[in-house]
Amino acid sequence: MRVFSKAPADDDRPLVARARRGDQDAARALFERYFDRIYNYVYARLGRVEDAEDLAIDTMTRTLTRLDLFQDQGVAFSSWVYRIAHNATIDHYRRQGKVTLVQLEDANLPQSADPSEMAVERMSNEDLRVAIRELTEEQQQVLILRFFQDLTAAQVAEILGKSVGAVQALQHRALASLERALAGRPVN
Amino acid sequence: MISENQRLERLAERLRAIEAAAPSPAAKIRAWNLVSAGLQKPAAGVARERSGARLLVAGLAASALLVAGAIAAAADSLPDSAFYPVKGTIENLEGAFALTAADQFKHHLTLAATRLREADAMFARHRVDLADQALVGMEDQLTSAAAVVKTVKASDAPVAGSLEGQLQQAVQTHDNQLAGLQGQVTNPTAVVAITRARNRAQEALKVAAAAADHGPGNGNGNSSASASSSDKGQSASGSPSGTTEPTLP
Repeated sequence: MRVFSKAPADDDRPLVARARRGDQDAARALFERYFDRIYNYVYARLGRVEDAEDLAIDTMTRTLTRLDLFQDQGVAFSSWVYRIAHNATIDHYRRQGKVTLVQLEDANLPQSADPSEMAVERMSNEDLRVAIRELTEEQQQVLILRFFQDLTAAQVAEILGKSVGAVQALQHRALASLERALAGRPVN
Repeated sequence: MISENQRLERLAERLRAIEAAAPSPAAKIRAWNLVSAGLQKPAAGVARERSGARLLVAGLAASALLVAGAIAAAADSLPDSAFYPVKGTIENLEGAFALTAADQFKHHLTLAATRLREADAMFARHRVDLADQALVGMEDQLTSAAAVVKTVKASDAPVAGSLEGQLQQAVQTHDNQLAGLQGQVTNPTAVVAITRARNRAQEALKVAAAAADHGPGNGNGNSSASASSSDKGQSASGSPSGTTEPTLP
């Protein structure tokens, strides 16, 4: 169950315009609108509260201090914010020296007898979060944005710079990879 | 036996049911305080930029009567300004008066910071080409500063150690700014330029550090010449002043 009720609407432009003119109330409104979402997104990617806080702050600072870079980007403000969060996450990985993950399709995963019998309802939330973090970058992004952030396929497509069809295909592959990953885990 | 689509839909529903992670209220307050503090800096920057623009306009009018007015206007000019070449001349003059190694080193670090500010401003104006050139200028200045450190190591290790520390600090500061910029730009050319600038800044540090590993005998100027010669070629397009070969008293 989400703590934020709906996906970000594309009505941010008036607030962005005011914030660019130095209106602190508008900047605060944008912060309130996006901070929890970005925190949730980053936490899903990294799994550490401290890192999630730092990167969410970093993302919002980068966003609100450089609104001048947002103009003429041709994307919704929300997509721009998520891209900044994604870049901040990648930067974090680089600083931590995290290696690129292999495609789960290629990984040597333990196989269960029959995935259809896997009781995903009994999997703990943490098991699911950890399993998602073992997916590829793009697979993580699509699952987190679609199911944790409640974004539409079209919104995710804009953030990732892909077509809606490509996002849907990626989502299917990501779920299948996640299912295989979970099949190799014991149910708590 | 259920179909794959049914299984995946069930998994998707399970993911939707995961409770969202939320920051604590205290963390959120702390976050806004930090973000709010960050907002003060650009506001000041905008004010300076607007003030600079007004000064530039005034300088343009005065330059018709006074050459000094033109020089003053050029001092704060950006790469997309008609006065920018004058800025290069001024920087070259300043470089000529940097007689000691420490002065030359400081001059290079100052110019590196100037080029980075220019790159930042050009990215903000969507002039990626000029931003790229400014970053090349920054890279050249850091390489030249590293070459000075390397040369000084041959004659004065304690001073060289101090300069190397300053170089490390400058590179770290620049790298932080570049990392911030990298997260904000979406243009692939801009991303490549920033990545290259960060890498070359790190290479400059290695050049400065390498001399210590090889001992003072290697700081005879030959090894720094290769870095400096490439500097000149790049800085011809990357900065108004180019890169001056470090010369020691």
